[in-house]
Amino acid sequence: MPLIELKSVSKIYPLGSQQVIAVDDLSLSIEAGEFTVLAGPSGSGKTTLLNLIGCLDEPSRGEVWLDGQEVGGAPQPQLAKLRLRKIGFIFQSYNLIPVLTAAENAEFTLMLMGVPKSRRRQRVVELFAELGLAGLEERKPSDLSGGQQQRVAIARAMASQPAVVLADEPTASLDSQASEELLALMRRLNREQGATFVFSSHDPLVISRAQRVVTLRDGRLESDR
Amino acid sequence: MLWQLALRNIWRNRRRTLLTLSAMVISSALLILALGIFSGMLKDMLASATEQYFGHLVISAGDYQDDRDMFANFSSSQALEEQLQREPQIRGYSKRLRSFGLLSQQRNSGPAELLGVLPDQERQVTNLHQHLVAGSYLQPGDSAGAVIGSGLARRLGAEVGDSLVFVTQAADGSIGNDLLAVRGIFSTGVHRHDNSLVLVPLGWLQQLLVLPERLHEIAVKIEDPLRAASFAARLQPQLEGQLQALDWGQMLPEMREVVASYDVSRMIIVTILYIATGLGILNTFFMSVMERTREFGVLMAIGMRPGQVRRMVLLETLSMGAISLFAGVILGVLLSLYMAYVGIDLSGTLSPITYAGGTILPRLHAVLEPANILYPALSLLLVCLLAGFLPANRAARMQPVVAIREE
Amino acid sequence: MKIFLFCCFSLPLLATQVLAELNLRELIRTVEQQYSGDSSQTRIEMTVKTGHWERHLEMESWSLGRERFLVRILAPKKEKGVATLKVEKEVWNYLPKVDRVIRIPPSMMGGAWMGSHITNDDLVKANHIDQDYDFRLLSEDQQSWTIEGLPKPNAPVIWGKIVYQLQKQPLVPQLVEYFDEEMILVRQIRFTDVQTVDGRTIPLQMTVLPVEKPEEKTVMHYRQLDFDVDLQKEFFSLRQLKGRR
Ligand SMILES: Nc1ncnc2c1ncn2[C@@H]1O[C@H](COP(=O)(O)OP(=O)(O)OP(=O)(O)O)[C@@H](O)[C@H]1O
Ligand SMILES: [Mg+2]
Repeated sequence: MPLIELKSVSKIYPLGSQQVIAVDDLSLSIEAGEFTVLAGPSGSGKTTLLNLIGCLDEPSRGEVWLDGQEVGGAPQPQLAKLRLRKIGFIFQSYNLIPVLTAAENAEFTLMLMGVPKSRRRQRVVELFAELGLAGLEERKPSDLSGGQQQRVAIARAMASQPAVVLADEPTASLDSQASEELLALMRRLNREQGATFVFSSHDPLVISRAQRVVTLRDGRLESDR
Repeated sequence: MLWQLALRNIWRNRRRTLLTLSAMVISSALLILALGIFSGMLKDMLASATEQYFGHLVISAGDYQDDRDMFANFSSSQALEEQLQREPQIRGYSKRLRSFGLLSQQRNSGPAELLGVLPDQERQVTNLHQHLVAGSYLQPGDSAGAVIGSGLARRLGAEVGDSLVFVTQAADGSIGNDLLAVRGIFSTGVHRHDNSLVLVPLGWLQQLLVLPERLHEIAVKIEDPLRAASFAARLQPQLEGQLQALDWGQMLPEMREVVASYDVSRMIIVTILYIATGLGILNTFFMSVMERTREFGVLMAIGMRPGQVRRMVLLETLSMGAISLFAGVILGVLLSLYMAYVGIDLSGTLSPITYAGGTILPRLHAVLEPANILYPALSLLLVCLLAGFLPANRAARMQPVVAIREE
Repeated sequence: MKIFLFCCFSLPLLATQVLAELNLRELIRTVEQQYSGDSSQTRIEMTVKTGHWERHLEMESWSLGRERFLVRILAPKKEKGVATLKVEKEVWNYLPKVDRVIRIPPSMMGGAWMGSHITNDDLVKANHIDQDYDFRLLSEDQQSWTIEGLPKPNAPVIWGKIVYQLQKQPLVPQLVEYFDEEMILVRQIRFTDVQTVDGRTIPLQMTVLPVEKPEEKTVMHYRQLDFDVDLQKEFFSLRQLKGRR
């Protein structure tokens, strides 16, 4: 059974009197442990697809299955719970909480899950060591570089050991060297900890590092290799 | 950590938070001060009516207080006085005889109200001895002294040491007349007292009126004037014969209404002020939520439930309420204390206003009452809760996708 | 014969008309000044009765014209020497016990005079009633006239209406009724014991009855009345008030 399964999913946005078909009758399966990139030109539907997988948005048609469970139509609080348990998010512009320290940002989802403080700290120390963030625990996001911030965001996404980590253009705000490092890190986490990654990118370099490349065009699957 | 997050969010936009906090602190402090001054005025009014003249309650025969009929007199009994001395609530009582007549000094004369008193007793009930502007109070054993109001003294051209003639009709119909020596002059700011009241020795007036050993009233001062009515009701069944105990509320029904309406007007003032303050707070709270739309989107995307988001925003507003409550109460109490012990004298620009039998003195003088702190404090919390609830709800209802896209 | 008849029927008629138009004011003045005349000296016994006490006073009084009046108490002993002097609109009392003269202030003019049912105002204003009121004949019969007095606009008066009941022959008052501003009867004065003294026919007893207190009254009885006595203005002085000649 695939970890993520999309069955004939369409997402249609109303735009004034018109309709924008962002995702068009798309079917896709992703297995646990995969390292998948969503490629495709701007406007091809990458972000929309990630939102659908991440239970942030509901499909207009078709079904989204996550870890053997259909997610369509659940109320917000329940979706929130689902996201908390199963999904880690990494955003293009990091989106760390500015008033919290790096460590507090990283342990936030654990806090929401009710994990006791000492265990949270332990996990954060582990992750920070792994991500090359040791010693930066008490820094505020504004005192970190873009690459460091994005690594804290990875720590936050990984802290609760989610079934899948979704990242929408995680390297778009980084220079090429930082992008390279970040990607290597993600790849390592994928290999060593078996975390499933699904991320989108424009960057040919990033795309070339992926294990599986799903290319979209106009909301449809163009290629999958 | 929700707590921490909320507290840190408060400090995020320091300037706005400080502005909001100071608005809340100042409004609640000023409200506490204003209510304190209000209470002070009320107390002045009540004191002018009771502690300068009536006493908190008065025991008299029949309906003496209605028409002040000279013949509605009684003689005090040992038993009655012992009973009054026994009551722990009673701070003091004063036996009195009253006469209205003509007071004259050389070519000047005018109507006056003479109150025959035992000085030691009277000073326990009324505070005219604290309002002397010249001379001294009556001394026990003084046989023909008088302490007169300043307005009356001015009209008569009388000074301390002058002798006055009082003429009235005695109880036997004869023309009671005798000399009094001015011992002291008082000025209370209350026209009615300053212009007509004269304290004289009880024995002197009893002799003049040919009413030996008789009294018109026993004025009583008790611990808490606002309980005078229930105390009078309790005292009544123990009084003999024609005697009646009337509290100040019965003698001054308008004053009682003023006191009763005070609670209502206090609520109205608190409400009006806090509606204004509340709208201001609501505005800033809304702004701070809208500014963080994207952040709320992220929080919800990574798994925070709408209820938790709502709680967090409410925590923010409530802790701001708590902080400003704390500071506001302290500031308000400090201001009130200043106004209670120092106050501001306005007699240069304003004259006293007499209303409902009491006089509002031209001064700003506060009284600290628990209710004057409690009402503003509770209302502030309520306002913060209301002003926080709307933006909190708004934040909780955001769609994470939409919120994240927001720039 | 014709003329005689004419006279019999029309003369009283004529007289009434003249009275109504010309002499009502004169009539009231005569009545109001019956005890003073141009000048007078009297001795009066006054009995005052209230619900609480009854008192008996003896007094001596002098008057000159409308504006001067002096009265001194002779008995009882406690009040002997207490005196009242009125000159124009001022009233003074003398109190021998404290040897002081007290001027009655305007605010106290409504107060009782010597504990009676007569006010200080009565002393001052009664002599001006004929000037301050307008009169109208209410009714008339064989023996008496009933005359109503209403205050002139802006006149400084105390009564809202005064009704006189006068006997025609000889001309003496029988009853005067005083009404307040709301036209409610407040006080009655009855005149009795009509006698001829010093060439004048006057009632020697005057009873003041406050309507609100039916058990109370003041009775003034003139024991001696001399008119046109030799008195000078100077007699009505504060010195004389004190009883020092
Ligand atoms: N909320 C929306 N309302 C209307 N149209 C939308 C909305 N979100 C996306 N679209 C449209 O759907 C299509 C797919 O958008 P999407 O953001 O998924 O593309 P993308 O592949 O992520 O593009 P990019 O590389 O620029 O981020 C676009 O044409 C976009 O304009
Ligand atoms: Mg996109």
